[in-house]
Amino acid sequence: MRDRLAEVLDRLVGASALERVLISVAALFAAVLVGGVLVFVSGGFATCRTGLDLAGWTFCYNPMQVYYELFLGALGHPLEGGWQLTNFGLATTLQRTTLLIFAGLSVAVAFRAGLLNIGTQGQLVVGGLATAVTVVYAAAIVPGGFIGTVVLIPLGVFAGAVVGGFYGAIPGVLKAYGDANEVITTIMLNFVATGVTATILSWQFQDPNSNNPQTRPVPEYAEIPNLPLIGFSGRMDFSLLALAFAVALMIGIAWLFARTSFGYELRTSGLQPEAAAYGGVDERRMTVASMTLSGALGGIGGAFWVLMVHGRWLENVPSLGFDGIAVSVLAGNSPVGVGAAAFLFGVLQSGSRSIGTGTDVPPELVGILSGLIILFVAMPEFFRMLGLRFRPAGTSQPARADGGEGGDVDE
Amino acid sequence: MSDSGAGTTDGTGPKTGVDAGTADRKSTGSDLAVHLDGITKRFPGVVANDDVDLRVERGTVHALLGENGAGKTTLMNVLYGLYEPEEGRVVVDGEDRSFGSPRDAIDAGIGMIHQHFMLVDPMTVAENIALGNEPTKWFGMAVDRERIDREIRDLCDRYGFDVDPDATIEDVSVGVQQRVEILKALFRGAEVLILDEPTAVLTPQEVEGLYEVLEELTDQGKTIIFITHKLEEATHAADAITVLRDGKSVGTVDPGGTSRKELAERMVGREVLLEAESEPAEAGDVVLSADDVTVRDARDIEVVSEIDLDVRAGEILGIAGVDGNGQAELVEAITGLETPDEGTITYDGTDITEWSRRQRIEQGMAYIPEDRHERGLVMPFDLVENGVLGSQRSPRFATSGRIDWPGVRDHTEEIIETYDVRPPDADADAQSLSGGNQQKFIVGREFERDPSLVVATHPTRGVDIGSTEFIHERLLDLRREGVAILLVSSNLEEVQALSDRLAVIYEGEFIDVTTPEDVTEEELGLLMAGQRPDQRDAAGSVGGDDR
Repeated sequence: MRDRLAEVLDRLVGASALERVLISVAALFAAVLVGGVLVFVSGGFATCRTGLDLAGWTFCYNPMQVYYELFLGALGHPLEGGWQLTNFGLATTLQRTTLLIFAGLSVAVAFRAGLLNIGTQGQLVVGGLATAVTVVYAAAIVPGGFIGTVVLIPLGVFAGAVVGGFYGAIPGVLKAYGDANEVITTIMLNFVATGVTATILSWQFQDPNSNNPQTRPVPEYAEIPNLPLIGFSGRMDFSLLALAFAVALMIGIAWLFARTSFGYELRTSGLQPEAAAYGGVDERRMTVASMTLSGALGGIGGAFWVLMVHGRWLENVPSLGFDGIAVSVLAGNSPVGVGAAAFLFGVLQSGSRSIGTGTDVPPELVGILSGLIILFVAMPEFFRMLGLRFRPAGTSQPARADGGEGGDVDE
Repeated sequence: MSDSGAGTTDGTGPKTGVDAGTADRKSTGSDLAVHLDGITKRFPGVVANDDVDLRVERGTVHALLGENGAGKTTLMNVLYGLYEPEEGRVVVDGEDRSFGSPRDAIDAGIGMIHQHFMLVDPMTVAENIALGNEPTKWFGMAVDRERIDREIRDLCDRYGFDVDPDATIEDVSVGVQQRVEILKALFRGAEVLILDEPTAVLTPQEVEGLYEVLEELTDQGKTIIFITHKLEEATHAADAITVLRDGKSVGTVDPGGTSRKELAERMVGREVLLEAESEPAEAGDVVLSADDVTVRDARDIEVVSEIDLDVRAGEILGIAGVDGNGQAELVEAITGLETPDEGTITYDGTDITEWSRRQRIEQGMAYIPEDRHERGLVMPFDLVENGVLGSQRSPRFATSGRIDWPGVRDHTEEIIETYDVRPPDADADAQSLSGGNQQKFIVGREFERDPSLVVATHPTRGVDIGSTEFIHERLLDLRREGVAILLVSSNLEEVQALSDRLAVIYEGEFIDVTTPEDVTEEELGLLMAGQRPDQRDAAGSVGGDDR
């Protein structure tokens, strides 16, 4: 059994990029199949006026229709008449994709450095508040219009990155110099972030014109603008510019990993800290640096959530940071993979909304369908990561530390 | 790889009744247990086995000798059903066989003990032995533990194994684990046992024990094939030796009728110097010195106690000692992976005690670490990426934070070429290389760093003769060029042959500093065991344990 498990892990670890894509696609189909059966059977227990009558049972839900809404609703029903590229469904999908790219990159950077940053959510929350506050106050001294846009947006994003980065650096320092497990500290710091931002908000920055816990709105010219021609002009909460920035950042992180000394050291630390120390990497500094970078990316996510979606900071921050963990795992912590995974999540979240409006299927069941897809698609990647983690440990056993030749041609 | 799972088979316990056949085995001289006839096995880009013949007589120990990458393990994997050969016949007990999987090979009475033990650590010896072959009772409802215990005890009695079936694997020594692997094969009815580099993980005492086990097994009619690249082992333990070179068989010889030198030449394909020749040193200035260096471990126990040493340019200082006497910690303190608790380390006249590892590398310190899997190589990285480890920020390979990958690749390919790393593929992952080739690569990377000081820990561990010779030559070249070398090794021959001065470490202290000429191997062994030089003549008393 153990051998077979090891074999499977080995196989997954050794899978090529194409194989991994194919595995993911196959997993997606399997998830749809299982979910379809589930939807169909659940339909037998629901009550409805019209449904499929079979052997005395009435099956209310049509799995085909549910998946049609899930996948095509997320794109705005491209097979139906009157479809436009800039539709509501697709805008929702891409908005989620954009935000999840930031969150996913945040988790991926930490993970590649061998750190489990569960705290992206907290970093995103504090970063977002910093952005909103900075922009609201800076707007008072910056001229409006085009200059305002050009100054305030970068300033806001920068503020989010700095504060998010600082908030990520805290667990980094605690880990490096106090040997505190980053999983525990980042989880705790998420609660701290929620509490502290709520306190700061009510103390100083609450919007006086509202009863909701939220900051004052940033000026309209400080929201991320749409592109003039192909912009989703009907929607104020998504901008292709933001998506382009997210994709550029994604490529930048990929470049950082592949080409730079820092990226090399980060990957080495993540894969084999002992070898990194041997190669002259200061483990503590690397821990702090990678957590800071991770936090800054989370903070940027918060900044875009503020500047693109709501135009202000709200106390009720959606769980983008936690979804970022799933996105990163699904992507095998590869920056470019994060883009694809974030898009899948965007489709699922936007499509779920479409199912809600287009069918009678209850939202709980839709949640299960999304969950199944994530579970199925992420599992092979998850096991691959397990394999990567545990295989080096296996190879360090004395039995392989010898002059054997087997590895020359096999494996 | 062998156990394919839960398939419990009744009655595949040890086969008895073979004894009848063993009585007359020695009279029938050409009774072949295994005959591999013209085996050819190709892999993309490599011919791993090229028309190899192997005839193994029943009841003998047959050594398969060859360098790293000569195709020994491939050949045995063919016999064990892991690979199917492109050409050739596998004949077992005079019958043509074609094994689709190890299961078929096991059924035909072949057992393989891999280098990497396939044991479940938290389970007991008995459970491990029976795993996958549990005899059952109550119509397959329960495992027949009594029968397992009985059969294991019978096997132990029969072959004189001293193994406690109820001990947990993680609590027993590596030597015992190996015995458990052998028992596992016997339990499944193996008549032919393949051992892949069986001594690599054993202490010298355990190696002696293994030889005894092999003798006992062959006396009882079992046939042993063992894979090795070590001459002494082949000549010491085998009844016949087949030498492989570059995937081809270069003949089978009788160990009695050949010299070690002859064997080595057959194996390497050219003349070899079994001992490196070193001319007297022309030592220059002191490059590295340690003063009163003390290192304590996590439990605050002194593992290195007030050690002083000097290494001069153009000199090799050897440190000999049994593993675990503080040499590892001393080396880490010198190379910057650990901070000494007391004392100072000086390099090129500068106090570097507080320097980071990176500063030391930049200053020209090369380090061949003891643990190549954990430290020396990043296993999932390819060789190009490993080729820059330690130089990732040096101006030679990086400008303004960016790594010059084409430059690194050229450098890596040079190392591969010069140090004969096989397979010669810069894109191969480090973990796919065999231990010896990994070691060659690390040695190459560190030697080509243009160092002024080399700290080499077990530089040739696991490396075959040809490459060992090459590494030794390069070490002497570096010495000639005026590099200071600190050589730590538990291989007595190596430290004696190469060192200009020799320090023996025991329990964190140098108990003697001498020159290789002034001490015999025997005396060195006693020193390493902790017998102080002044007690050496004290009438055979075991004087070393005064601490």
